[in-house]
Amino acid sequence: MFLRRIKAKHLFLLPAVLVLLSFSIFPVIASLVLSFSSFSLTQVEERLTFVGLANYTKLFTDARFLFSLKNTFMYVFLGAGLQYVLGLFLAMLIYEETIANRAYRVIFLIPMMLTPVAISYTWRMMFHETYGPVNHILSLLGMPGVPWLSSTKVALLSVMLVDAWQWTPFVMLALLAGRMSISREYYDAAGVDGASKLQTFAYITFPILIPVSLTVILIRSIEIAKIVDIIYVMTGGGPGISTESLTMYGYITGLKQFNLGYASALAYTLLVIVMVFGFLFLRIRGRLE
Amino acid sequence: MTKRIIRVLPYIVLIIWFLIVMFPLFWTVVTSFKNPIDVFRGPKYMPFIDFRPSLKAWNNMFVRDRQQILVPLMNSIIIVSTSTILAVGIGSMASYSLSRFTFKLGRFSNKDLAFWIISQRFIPPIAIIIPVLIMFRVLRLLDTRLGMIIVYTAFNLPFVIWLMRDYFDSVPQDIEEAAMVDGCSRLETFVRIVLPLAFPGLIVSFLFSFVMAWNEFFFALILTFQKAQTIPLLIAGQSTQRGVEWWNISAMAIITILPALLITLILQRRLVSGLTLGAIK
Repeated sequence: MFLRRIKAKHLFLLPAVLVLLSFSIFPVIASLVLSFSSFSLTQVEERLTFVGLANYTKLFTDARFLFSLKNTFMYVFLGAGLQYVLGLFLAMLIYEETIANRAYRVIFLIPMMLTPVAISYTWRMMFHETYGPVNHILSLLGMPGVPWLSSTKVALLSVMLVDAWQWTPFVMLALLAGRMSISREYYDAAGVDGASKLQTFAYITFPILIPVSLTVILIRSIEIAKIVDIIYVMTGGGPGISTESLTMYGYITGLKQFNLGYASALAYTLLVIVMVFGFLFLRIRGRLE
Repeated sequence: MTKRIIRVLPYIVLIIWFLIVMFPLFWTVVTSFKNPIDVFRGPKYMPFIDFRPSLKAWNNMFVRDRQQILVPLMNSIIIVSTSTILAVGIGSMASYSLSRFTFKLGRFSNKDLAFWIISQRFIPPIAIIIPVLIMFRVLRLLDTRLGMIIVYTAFNLPFVIWLMRDYFDSVPQDIEEAAMVDGCSRLETFVRIVLPLAFPGLIVSFLFSFVMAWNEFFFALILTFQKAQTIPLLIAGQSTQRGVEWWNISAMAIITILPALLITLILQRRLVSGLTLGAIK
């Protein structure tokens, strides 16, 4: 019996561990090795030459890399912030168990289930300056048209808005679950003390939601750090390189120009940033609990 | 007066957000029934009122470009359903093991192992894609359905393991022990007793994994070229051929988002509760 137990326990876990080893541990290590080498798929004979830190030193003097790094940070900070604020606001509006709210929850969930590539086309169409409906509706409201995709400054914002359209539901859902699990007693007590709605939110709801908030912001930040689908379809990284993210630039260097070593160094930098970021967040969360 | 405004404000916000969510979907449907001229003559909103609808795009898709669409569609269906079944199968086994047994590896215990598994989800794809590309080249898995099935299984595994753990934790152990006393092996107990009890979790894992693999773009972009191309790739490639044909793209987009849309509407509350459970832990 004891022996069988040990066997079952490992056998159940084995397939998953094998898959994860070959698709995350092995590639992560191989990427690290590649990032210290020069390797190109276009050469007649494929050879791995060790180049030390050359890729990394080149990376940090590469203006295009630094620019895509800056863009990625913009997407993460502004995007995650926007999604959090919107998600929190919506969650606070629909937490009560009414029939209408149940319908809202399902409808509001829809965007996050849809194929990013497909909805990016829809938004590209809607943002079109002459025959898209967004500027037309703005003009009906007496507002000036916005160069959504043709201005280097606005295009970044447009990408961010589409990502927010798609992923605010996720933030909303997590905060909704957090809000619904708060015991009624707190609110009854607050009601007896005559607290206003705003006070109840500031002193009861929000503090209790802080751990969930941190988790959800962390998840969204890490996901946004990988952003590429929306950019690929909506702007192609343009105009110029104004909306290019790290993943987009890595794709161009590694898989269009086949500079695999250089692209690996770029990818590894992103991986390290994501890991440091995640670690810091978990430390903060750990402190709070 | 101000009080009144504050009272109705939530409803206004909800209606505005409702419109923001629904309008892009409405616009895609409307555009798919337009003639090119109605697309390029500035925004037209209502069929029969400000433009004459046409079935051109749908006709193109189901008749003229049938072959061009059928192959990626079949690829997507085969790759996504097979990999999802594998991910849910392999994932629930691993998840069950993590929920029932204690693992010790030096300082690391079950919690660390589970955390390590879910953290795989956060690795940027670009950081693993190049070695996978090289590995696939050597193994001749590039541009094959089998290759994509393996990749998407790995892609969804962490999520399934993470989600199923809560469900397995809630299955009472006495039932399993009773079954094993009656002579069932661990595997039999798992298949006959535990899985049926964790059925709601299986459904949520299956459907959510299905949607994530269905929507996946980046891995497919790099690991497939033609034969194993999936639907998101077909769509993404549309702007380079023959200019941008918005009506055709819209019809294609509708076909692409339809499965996920149906899944969301059918599952509704189960999805909301299943996902929030996963999100909050």
